[in-house]
Amino acid sequence: MKSRFRPNRLPDPAVLDDYLPLIKSLERRGLIRGGISLGALAMLTGCDVERPASVEAALLAISRFNDKVQALLFNPNKLAPTYPASMILKPPKFNAYYDVMDVKPVDGAKWRLELSGLIADKRPWTIRDLQALPQRTIVIKHICVEGWSYIGGWSGVPFRTFLEYVGADLRAKYVAFKTADNYPSSIDMASALHPQTLLATEYAGETLADPFGYPMRLRTAVKLGYKNPKWVTAIEVTNKYPGGYWESRGFPWFAGL
Amino acid sequence: MWVLSITAALVAVAVTGEAYGQSATPGGMPPPTGMSLAESTAMRFPQPVRVGQLLHRDVLQPVESQNVLGTVREVVQDKSGTIEVVINFGGFLGFGTRPIAVPVDAMVLLGRDMEIVAYTPQQLQKFPTFMPSGSSRLPDDTIIKVGLAKPSH
Repeated sequence: MKSRFRPNRLPDPAVLDDYLPLIKSLERRGLIRGGISLGALAMLTGCDVERPASVEAALLAISRFNDKVQALLFNPNKLAPTYPASMILKPPKFNAYYDVMDVKPVDGAKWRLELSGLIADKRPWTIRDLQALPQRTIVIKHICVEGWSYIGGWSGVPFRTFLEYVGADLRAKYVAFKTADNYPSSIDMASALHPQTLLATEYAGETLADPFGYPMRLRTAVKLGYKNPKWVTAIEVTNKYPGGYWESRGFPWFAGL
Repeated sequence: MWVLSITAALVAVAVTGEAYGQSATPGGMPPPTGMSLAESTAMRFPQPVRVGQLLHRDVLQPVESQNVLGTVREVVQDKSGTIEVVINFGGFLGFGTRPIAVPVDAMVLLGRDMEIVAYTPQQLQKFPTFMPSGSSRLPDDTIIKVGLAKPSH
């Protein structure tokens, strides 16, 4: 069908030969332009670590906003689902940012839990000290950000009980952890005070085994797996954002369930 | 022209995506050459597990896609005392499998599954079909020790 804009007298087709190189170069420019914009879009999928700084800043801002929304949605009185002890997976699933051969067992006799920050009594704790406090057992689902989960049973002193005992400032924003395997982590105070957050020393009624965080790990039912550091060596209560191992690599900080 | 640019972008995503998804220290690496299976298990913090818990578990390949190679049929001990896991290997959606016996020291526990770390699927294809005579089935309540590995994805 002839276009309405078609001139009555068509130009000489030989004119096209003069301009053919120009037309080809325009098409090439379009290809490069199209490629770059689609490439930039591809980079925003989050797979490419090398992003322009402006994109990085924007993504971080959105991540922080998500954290704030999650914090608002968090209900400190709501309990995560629990399960019968018969469903506990024995042994539990091992995970770390390295394979199991590189686990460095901790000497339980020499281990001390160091305290710092907004805490009144900063004396270090031994395993026996921790076990002398009231204990709680939770049988809950460990949910990994990677998409797998399992039901496990942990026992230990409720973190709230511990923080009250050492005179921590419960209005502070963050609780930070240092571990024997260089896996710094931190959580918000509201999650730390949740009744299903423990300083766990036992799994399925037995002492935590070396690959699973001996002598003590954080265990909470209200956060994704990577927010539960193992082989904890130090706790700090602070109002300064402490970050964490995976957070430095782009993972969300709040990671609530 | 735009098809080319889309394809180029998709290839770029696929390449960078794969590089990022694969761990810097992948889980389930085979034992180094010269190391015995027993030694490699000893390095993997073997944990006690009840034989009954292992039955029907998926057996995975230690790669990012974690292909299911088969399922655990039973755990047996042969005359020399070696503990082996009999796996319904291969086939498709559970059909056309054949049982093979893999030494437990060639395997690891991976959450609710198991994984074979010492043999590739190609090597496993060449394993002889398992014959029950010569081995005794371990009762469900037996506790055996199996090594661990980090997930491969």
